[in-house]
Amino acid sequence: MAEERLKSATRILTQRGILIAFILFMVGFSVVSDRFMTADNLQAVFRQAAIIGVMALGVTLVVICGNLDLSVGSLLSLSTVLVVDLHDKIGPISAIAVTLLVALAVGAVNGLLVGVARLNSLIVTLGMLSAIQGLTLIYTGGQNVDIQNQDTTWFAIFGRGAILGVPTQILIFVVLAVVMHVVLAHTPFGRRVYASGGNPTAAVFSGIRRGRVVLATYMTSAFCTGIAAIILGSRVMGSQNNVGQGYELLVLSAVILGGTSLLGGSGSIAKTVIGVLILGFIQNGLLLLGFAYYVQWLVTWVVIILAVWLDIAAKRGRMFSPFA
Amino acid sequence: MNRKFKQLAGGVSIAFALMGGHAAFADTIKIGITQNNVGVDSYQTTYEKAFKEAAAAESGVETVVLDAGGDVARQIAQVQDLIQQKVNAIIIWPTNGKAVVPAVRKAQAAGIPVIVTNSNIAPEGAEFIASFSGPNNIQQGASAAELMCEALGNKGQIVQISGQPGYTTAIERQKGFEDRLAEACPDVKILETQPGDWNREKSQRVMEAFLVKYDKIDGVYSGDDNMGVGALNAAKAAGRADKIAFVGATNFAVGYEAMERGEYYGSIYQSPVDDAENALKTAIAVVKGEKVPALNYFETPKITKANMKDFTKPVF
Repeated sequence: MAEERLKSATRILTQRGILIAFILFMVGFSVVSDRFMTADNLQAVFRQAAIIGVMALGVTLVVICGNLDLSVGSLLSLSTVLVVDLHDKIGPISAIAVTLLVALAVGAVNGLLVGVARLNSLIVTLGMLSAIQGLTLIYTGGQNVDIQNQDTTWFAIFGRGAILGVPTQILIFVVLAVVMHVVLAHTPFGRRVYASGGNPTAAVFSGIRRGRVVLATYMTSAFCTGIAAIILGSRVMGSQNNVGQGYELLVLSAVILGGTSLLGGSGSIAKTVIGVLILGFIQNGLLLLGFAYYVQWLVTWVVIILAVWLDIAAKRGRMFSPFA
Repeated sequence: MNRKFKQLAGGVSIAFALMGGHAAFADTIKIGITQNNVGVDSYQTTYEKAFKEAAAAESGVETVVLDAGGDVARQIAQVQDLIQQKVNAIIIWPTNGKAVVPAVRKAQAAGIPVIVTNSNIAPEGAEFIASFSGPNNIQQGASAAELMCEALGNKGQIVQISGQPGYTTAIERQKGFEDRLAEACPDVKILETQPGDWNREKSQRVMEAFLVKYDKIDGVYSGDDNMGVGALNAAKAAGRADKIAFVGATNFAVGYEAMERGEYYGSIYQSPVDDAENALKTAIAVVKGEKVPALNYFETPKITKANMKDFTKPVF
């Protein structure tokens, strides 16, 4: 009886480990800092998390489909530079349209190379990461770009405005998350994504055109990054040409933290949202405690290792491999 | 026959070398420059352009303009190339103050004077260089401290957003500011310092946390205006910008514009054009055998709304 209770406790710990870690962090931070649980701070965290969150939604699809997308970091740089630079030149609407089209084109190239040409996704998107960073530097000629009429443009709505009292970027994140959750969990397309990632061979034999599914996931991922760039550009009203540097790993961390498996075939949008929030709160909590941002890298690493370990431990029913 | 030919060839080439060498000294000075990483930021891009223009305007000066692309190994190779080309002086913008020391020593041993530009070489390399030409970052931090005292009437509490950790410029601008602040207005206290990494978005995030954490912030000092404007963005969003004085240690175009709007108190004017021209002038003076100070700083004045008409808007 007692043994059984212990077993079920272990099961809860391993299966809900990440949720427990999340709650522990929240409690810990609010004990140490009296500012942590204030409405202002929570809103700030959600606002900051929205950019990484929107990107992570798209990357989740790619990862569930069994691939990686590391190109999103420099795609964020390129898209932000584009939307900010073109804002003054061709107007906000055209700037947004061009930015999203360019992002989609980059996603299509990734998708074709991985899905149709069947190249390794790590190599394709890692190469794309530096290729796009190069493209961004060529486009800007090394200059930073800025929006001139910051206080009058309606473009400010995405990163600085609010709709019905809710900051717009949080609203965008929530709406996108809901839409993508429905698509992934309740449509044939969603099932194809899981099938293609879980068992590619079986998926193909069941008549799924895997190449097209992969293409669609990469284009979704790039589109999400384009949206994130619009939020970022509007929030900062300017862009450095390497603004997205390192985001690819932050985004991937959020996805993994949530518990979406890198092996593909399992995971969910809800998990990623939790991952994004954990990352956001770690970042914010450490900052409030007076630690520099690079301390967060270390803490994030520890949390990721724990998350991945618990995930694997839950699957095999024990902490260590019996064959080690 | 063969030996004779060799001797002849040798003699001719020595004669040519002598003529060539003579010509180089009498007519043109050849100066090689290896830059850090052109094309990644506006300052370095403008610097290169200004350097080429200044060299073109100078008669009797020929330049070899190279860029290390941020790569230490490539920069060392470029210094070796310049030694091979027997230039009269080498200007180097170190990709890494420590790692380039052996290459600089080699150039000095080959009889080629080395001028370091913008960011200084590590102390152990100081004996191998003819001069350092660049901004005085300690002074820039100190001047910014004076601006802060002025803005706050010598009393208040402020936060600091510093540059990239480990980067000499960031360390010096922080030190210069802190030392001078303690001296000039000891009643202005620094509540907290966080790195903003020379990044506007990151600084905005840091400032958002500061605003949550501290109910009263009278001033923000940033390592440059790019970060300062990030902090200003955050303060504006929180509706607290009008109660805070923003001071930066290097003026950027965005800071200049915010100053025009009256949202940004002041900064330090550091021009990449002055930086490049100063480096070229120092190199020419060294080649001509004139006496040059070991630390040849160029002027970096304070800029506020009151005197900003005297300065053109920064290009970066």
